[in-house]
Amino acid sequence: MFDPAYLLAQVPALLGGLGMTLLLTALSVALSLAIGVAGGAIRSQRVPLLAPLAGAYVEVIRNTPILVQLFFLFYGLPAIGLRMSLFWTGVVCLTLWGGAYQIENFRGGFAAVGQGLREAALALNLRPRVFLRRVAIPIALRVSLPSIVNTSISQLKNSSYLQAIGLAELTFVALDRVATDFRALEMFAALGVLYVGLVFALSAAAARLERIMNRPYAA
Amino acid sequence: MNRITGLLALLAISAAAVAQGLPPLPDSIKSQGKVRVGVRCDQPPYGYQDQNGQFAGVEVDMAKQIATFAFGSPEKAELTCVTAENRIPQLNSKRVDLLIATLGISPERARVVDFTKPYRWGASDLLVAKDSPYKKLEDLSGKTVVVLKGSVQAKWFDDHMPKVTTLKLNTAADALQALKQGRADGYAHDAATLVIIGSKDPSLRLLEDHYQLSDAAMAVRKGEADWLAYVDASITKMRSEGMFRRMVEKWVPADVRSYYIMVFEQPKPAER
Repeated sequence: MFDPAYLLAQVPALLGGLGMTLLLTALSVALSLAIGVAGGAIRSQRVPLLAPLAGAYVEVIRNTPILVQLFFLFYGLPAIGLRMSLFWTGVVCLTLWGGAYQIENFRGGFAAVGQGLREAALALNLRPRVFLRRVAIPIALRVSLPSIVNTSISQLKNSSYLQAIGLAELTFVALDRVATDFRALEMFAALGVLYVGLVFALSAAAARLERIMNRPYAA
Repeated sequence: MNRITGLLALLAISAAAVAQGLPPLPDSIKSQGKVRVGVRCDQPPYGYQDQNGQFAGVEVDMAKQIATFAFGSPEKAELTCVTAENRIPQLNSKRVDLLIATLGISPERARVVDFTKPYRWGASDLLVAKDSPYKKLEDLSGKTVVVLKGSVQAKWFDDHMPKVTTLKLNTAADALQALKQGRADGYAHDAATLVIIGSKDPSLRLLEDHYQLSDAAMAVRKGEADWLAYVDASITKMRSEGMFRRMVEKWVPADVRSYYIMVFEQPKPAER
């Protein structure tokens, strides 16, 4: 039955996996936010050439399973001479996946920036870049923050797919121990607790961010 | 008087034809009129089921041969499909009287069953790219080797060659793909499996440096010394009469046969 002593002995290994999961998630969330802002702006401004490209990218990612994308990056790309390390394959996979969703999140946010605001900016002779930075992005960010957080949480959970290519993140560590020691109950219980804890922390941080951002612009 | 002597002689000869050089069959088996043997049904070429669902393979033939020694007919072997998990429970719950089921000798198992003398050995090997420079296991020090999660090879490399980075994947197909894409320098697995994969792919070759050696033996329940002696003598007889080689020739394709003949006929190499 449930053996707490066994679980305790596995804590260092699990913490190692947890660290890797956090690193992967942090990197890929940051990178996919950058993709999301750029892609969302491109799509909502209907930039010629780039907008259809961004649209095609979003469709490809949204319409294929992430495991297929992962295997394509890991086993497929080396065949055409592009071989990324295990770690970077993981980061790129999560980033590309999250980036597609963040583009759509930001596009939704930019759509909430009304035409009237644009016209007002034009009338005030704001340059487009200033309008984007001082008006459009702050508003878009507020509107799309809940869905941005959603996508980030999904990236955290999707990092568990990376066990399939042997990347030693949290799920890999647990599955590897189960395959060796056959103690499924302890390991999966630990996995559940750790993931719930991570997501809870992320959600709490996001809620706090939302409160800060929704403060009116007080002088 | 002469007639009786002649009759006795005839009886002796026919008995000898069934079991020459074997100890008497224990009553417990004799009274059953058959030998109940647990064999694998997913481990070609040792024990598997052919397209018609019939038991096939080298270890299946060994079971039938023991039935022939005991009762004069291969039909007297009652075969049961056992798995790696249930084989020892099947034996100890008396569903079968003998296991010939790719069972490796280990101290843990020897506490719960009695092993016969080994009939072959087994080993792990490495599959590497054909044009790679590796000649022996030590050449892989500091390199990456792909293994399957939970496999004995994964543990062996962690224990014996910690300088080797192991890439742990889930399936043999993944492992092969990773090796072919150059993500790893070698693929460590059971040698018997690798010889078959290696023979199918001209871009790969076996290192043929064996490690993680084991002995495969048959097993009987504890405390059945007469039956153990009978099976041991049967193994000796099969070996001395060259039967193992004939069975391997029957079940293993010619291009990978040499490995299997080696594990039955050559002595086990020293553990490294």
